[in-house]
Amino acid sequence: MSAVVIGVGVNELVAAHYLARVGQRVLVLDHGSVTDETATGWIPPRVVRNLELERAGLVIQSHDPWVAAALPDGGRLELWHDMGRSVEAIRRLSPRDAEKWPEFCTRMAQLAGVLEALYTAPPPDPLTRAWRDFARLAAIGFGIRRHGRRGVEDLLRVLPMPVADLLDDWFECDALKGVLGAAGIMHARHGPRASGTAFRLLHEHVGNPAGVFRQPRSNVGRVLQGLPGVEIRRGAEIARITVREERVAGVVLADGNEIPALVVVSGLDPRRTLTELVDPGWLDPAFARTVRNIRCRGVVARVALTLEREPGFSTLVVAPSLDYLERAADDAKYGRISAAPYLEARSDRSRGGGGHCVDVHAQYAPYALAGGGWNDTCRAALGRAVVECLAQHAPAIAAATVEQSVHSPRDLEQVYGYPEGQAHHAELALDQAFWMRPVPDLAQYATPIRGLYLCGMATHPGAGVNGASGANAARAIARDLARRRNA
Amino acid sequence: MRTPYDAIIIGGGHNGLTCAAYLARAGRRVLVLERRECVGGAAVSEQVFPGFTFSVFSYVVSLLRPEIIRDLDLPRHGLHILPLESTLTPLPNGDYLAQWDDHDQNRHELARHSLRDAEAYDEFGRLMHQMSRAVKPLLGLIPPDPASLNPRDWFELARLGSHLRGLGATRFHALHKLLTMSSADYLDEWFETEALKATKSASGIIGTLAGPRSPGTAYVLLHHYMGEIDGVFRAWGFAKGGNGSVSGAIAGAARSFGAEIRTGAAVAHVLLDRGRAAGVVLEGGEEIRAKRVVSGADPRRTFLELVGADHLPAEFAQALERFRFRGASGKVNLALGELPSFTCLPGNGPHLRGAISISPSVDYLERAFDEAKYGEFSTRPYLDIVIPSAIDPGMAPPGKHVMSIFVQYAPYHLNGGWTDARREAFGDAVIDTLAQYAPNLKSAILHRQVITPADIERTVGLTEGSIFQGELTLQQMFWLRPVPGWAKYRTPIRRLYQCGAGTHPGGGVMGASGRNAALAMLEDGA
Repeated sequence: MSAVVIGVGVNELVAAHYLARVGQRVLVLDHGSVTDETATGWIPPRVVRNLELERAGLVIQSHDPWVAAALPDGGRLELWHDMGRSVEAIRRLSPRDAEKWPEFCTRMAQLAGVLEALYTAPPPDPLTRAWRDFARLAAIGFGIRRHGRRGVEDLLRVLPMPVADLLDDWFECDALKGVLGAAGIMHARHGPRASGTAFRLLHEHVGNPAGVFRQPRSNVGRVLQGLPGVEIRRGAEIARITVREERVAGVVLADGNEIPALVVVSGLDPRRTLTELVDPGWLDPAFARTVRNIRCRGVVARVALTLEREPGFSTLVVAPSLDYLERAADDAKYGRISAAPYLEARSDRSRGGGGHCVDVHAQYAPYALAGGGWNDTCRAALGRAVVECLAQHAPAIAAATVEQSVHSPRDLEQVYGYPEGQAHHAELALDQAFWMRPVPDLAQYATPIRGLYLCGMATHPGAGVNGASGANAARAIARDLARRRNA
Repeated sequence: MRTPYDAIIIGGGHNGLTCAAYLARAGRRVLVLERRECVGGAAVSEQVFPGFTFSVFSYVVSLLRPEIIRDLDLPRHGLHILPLESTLTPLPNGDYLAQWDDHDQNRHELARHSLRDAEAYDEFGRLMHQMSRAVKPLLGLIPPDPASLNPRDWFELARLGSHLRGLGATRFHALHKLLTMSSADYLDEWFETEALKATKSASGIIGTLAGPRSPGTAYVLLHHYMGEIDGVFRAWGFAKGGNGSVSGAIAGAARSFGAEIRTGAAVAHVLLDRGRAAGVVLEGGEEIRAKRVVSGADPRRTFLELVGADHLPAEFAQALERFRFRGASGKVNLALGELPSFTCLPGNGPHLRGAISISPSVDYLERAFDEAKYGEFSTRPYLDIVIPSAIDPGMAPPGKHVMSIFVQYAPYHLNGGWTDARREAFGDAVIDTLAQYAPNLKSAILHRQVITPADIERTVGLTEGSIFQGELTLQQMFWLRPVPGWAKYRTPIRRLYQCGAGTHPGGGVMGASGRNAALAMLEDGA
């Protein structure tokens, strides 16, 4: 086997198919972690084109309205793909904000466009000595300047800003700021007043039309699994990655089978890949320390509800104000579940069974709870709190809930393999983004062990962009393989 | 019309005076106008209570640029800096963490708390030392504008880029992390002792409405390592006679070069002549003309009050509205009948000649911040304490002492606003907090002066009581300070300049803004 890919997530499968296309024999090992059938996130058009995903049945669900924000008085603020409808909806709460909405959306879309260009290629390396990388850096610079002085000013000013400051600059309506601010903190440990959260708002916006600040869902995972060209082995639990003479030699499965490989691509998080599956003796101690220092503090619990009837929304967000979000984050700082959590409920029609499924993202629910760990009591309490809170805004929920399951960050670690329950594998913050993601020495997908690569969500651009990390990693691998052949 | 002056400087703070001194030194006729009866702005020494002299507002000398000390020959004009040798962090359990100006001594002290931290301290110190040497040149730099199409900016940017690339991978990446991380997260990578992390983090939150877990606070860790006084690396100090003697020395230098300084002269507005600055009008109506005007006041005062939004390009005025101040600091000055005696180290000792920091844990600081975030002052605040009279006995009558307590957080935007009653309640919270560690404090107090951000705004004229003339956050730093495209001390009004801390590199008693502004003016042919 020339290449072994660990994991059946979107990035792993994209990497596998790209490698198959450059003539590698690829084996994908499904090591047992569950992956969601419906993936949330934008898929770079080039990946869709290259892998002909549309012909294979790719369906992107983009709901309209893309969000319904619960208002404290029981009403809802609905935002639409159509700018005019959003303006009308906002006007009912604040005519001043309604007037600013179109310009805000245009400016943010410009900035997200810059990120989009950065996301569809390996991260630029500011320390590069290669003229081609240099030219790329310059091209990105010119690309920004194309939007005029204001483009450069906006980008460099907005990226490091707290999302709360950015939104306060533009708007006065708490509900609008809450629902946008929530995009800035989704899966983050910080609250909206933390610097760098404006960058995350843009990250959520990448690939979406102007005025849409939530990623769509799609069946890309299922489509990729059905795509011919690579072999997928189920139930192949990995025991370790073998290394010989600083080169990867293959993987050993839990049942003792060894699969030799020239290239191993891991979609697992870097800490697990490099400090658990690889014998740490192969790593420089300073490097091992930086890997252990990758921040991946999970703060989200997932609550799945099964209802007997339609919940009456596609995406319902409970984030009534920036202060509400900030207070929710305060609890997490001291290891407490938010007394009033930020909730984002998505109804999922695609999932089978007789009932209607609602997936609830409940933040903040820290991985490490102060005074004892997660137990059934905490889980049940959180589940109750979530249902109660949602029921205030969608009465159908309380009456109709027939079944609920609560996944704490600890459960998410167990079931989905999220390190410390962090769905992004490495927190997406400015110090763990671009050439710093997840750490500088791993930013170009290669690891210090030759032939071992990363392609998971901890690499650039990471979670929320489906397949970009996988495609970028495959490009880096193909380039290295070509270099070896020529050498 | 006759213009007797080449330049008028609005505001006799240390930056304004520095700017005046540099212009006068270059042979220009300069007039400094100060609203108050004494020069110095926020760097003043005043006898608040008979016999007791206080550095009322800013209280230590840090990062005063050595080139300014040299160029203006400040020691000859009375500047004498006494080193601040230690930082003591008393702990609630009766223990303490002390940091001295000796690396090995610190390592031993740390080993008492954590062997692991003592080991990491060496490498941490080395990295910080290298980093601060690498970053220091940026403080004196006139920030190039990356949005500009001017080849000169491009040249400067390329030079800056090559300086940064020249740092090498380790330091470049460390700089990236320091600029974007929270100090608590950054220190978590190195240390486990809470008191150490909290005390080091505290430098990152000073003057800013941010907590130790707020990203962007890590960078200021470097400032401590950069602190250089008379060439002594890594030291902070007191000016003998209080911080007013820093301003006094700079004023003395300015006068010796021929600058004229008028106190009690409040500027009402900048005089414009066909869109150009032509002088100022004082509050009494007196008009003084000059070829150029430079303002040491903060950007909001300068442009929205002294110039007026009508005279500014709309985009510039909008950008100014977005510039954030949010003062978060207060000050309590105490006249003491005796030295405080700390439970952890009773009686007199060398620790009283250094700083005392009430920052027992990162969570403690973060909780203090939480209250301020929602518009309350901290009931258990972070305190940075110095006892100037322990080093410089002239500050207080014999046997008596003055204590300066810098307090965070005291948000300018207090729920319900600052009143006399709230000010006293705030003062009580500070005294109660400190008395937990030094039980004799309450009985030792002879007089107390409590200063809130509202008081700072009223007395010194700093908008919202922001001690840095605007928050020092990434989106308000370097070429973005105070307004993108106008960070080079020039303004959209021709012949009007800015020289306050609202420009790069910002707060602290550095003087760099004043010097850079003077250089920019001279370059323009002032």
